[in-house]
Amino acid sequence: MPTVSRSETVQSAMQKMLEKGCYTLLVPRMNKSDAYGIITKKDIVSKVIAEGMNPREVKVEDVMSKPLVVLTNLTLDLRWVAKAMANSGVSTIVVFEKGDFYGYVTESCILEGVYHALRRAKLEQGVEFVSC
Amino acid sequence: MELRDVVGRSSPVKISPTATAGDALVSMIENKTDYLLVDRTGPHDAYGIVTKRDIVVAGIAEGKDLTKTPALELARKPLVVMNNLDLDIRWVAKKMANEGVSKIAVFDKEKFLGFISDIDILRAVTAKKEADH
Repeated sequence: MPTVSRSETVQSAMQKMLEKGCYTLLVPRMNKSDAYGIITKKDIVSKVIAEGMNPREVKVEDVMSKPLVVLTNLTLDLRWVAKAMANSGVSTIVVFEKGDFYGYVTESCILEGVYHALRRAKLEQGVEFVSC
Repeated sequence: MELRDVVGRSSPVKISPTATAGDALVSMIENKTDYLLVDRTGPHDAYGIVTKRDIVVAGIAEGKDLTKTPALELARKPLVVMNNLDLDIRWVAKKMANEGVSKIAVFDKEKFLGFISDIDILRAVTAKKEADH
């Protein structure tokens, strides 16, 4: 996941998002006892632009979410990953395996997974896969 | 900066009001879009919208069978609409925050212009700040 430093402005975070086409940025921690943070397009739209603040003057640390919503069970069913997103009202969940950063799950990842499952189910039934 | 400067001109992908959530998912992935417009059945009906988040939060998280659930059950209907094209972009962002949505339908009087998304807002604000600098 692309990262942005906590002391950068929201303006430069926005530029980074648009350049990479990735609307979620990780904010690294300062030391071992600190938590990681995350900043999304929704944070920027609802906490900066909607409040009439200048993105050049607001720092990433003022609008980021911290600590992250984390899952560590890699064998968890997709349904419960989706439920964790719904419960905590977030769109990205970070996955750790044994204390190490493993990756992250977004809404699109979940849909992609379900899409392939649907497709496989249709093929197993011997039905030609028809898209709508 | 005003609403008329940022409204998206792309026409949304539609699905029929009788489609299932599974159909909606397949259509989203194959058309590479985050949302679909749910068509109305007649002139007195409202349009609906179904997004990726709706399918994740209202469908998969609840353990529903997507091939049997109607897309309309997960959709938001009627749409969040704005029609004042002179409105400052700040209030468009505030409307999104208030309603908890990421897409707003924009109408000019009766005519549907398109959707404005949170990404359109980021893009417009970034471009403007760069121009000012």
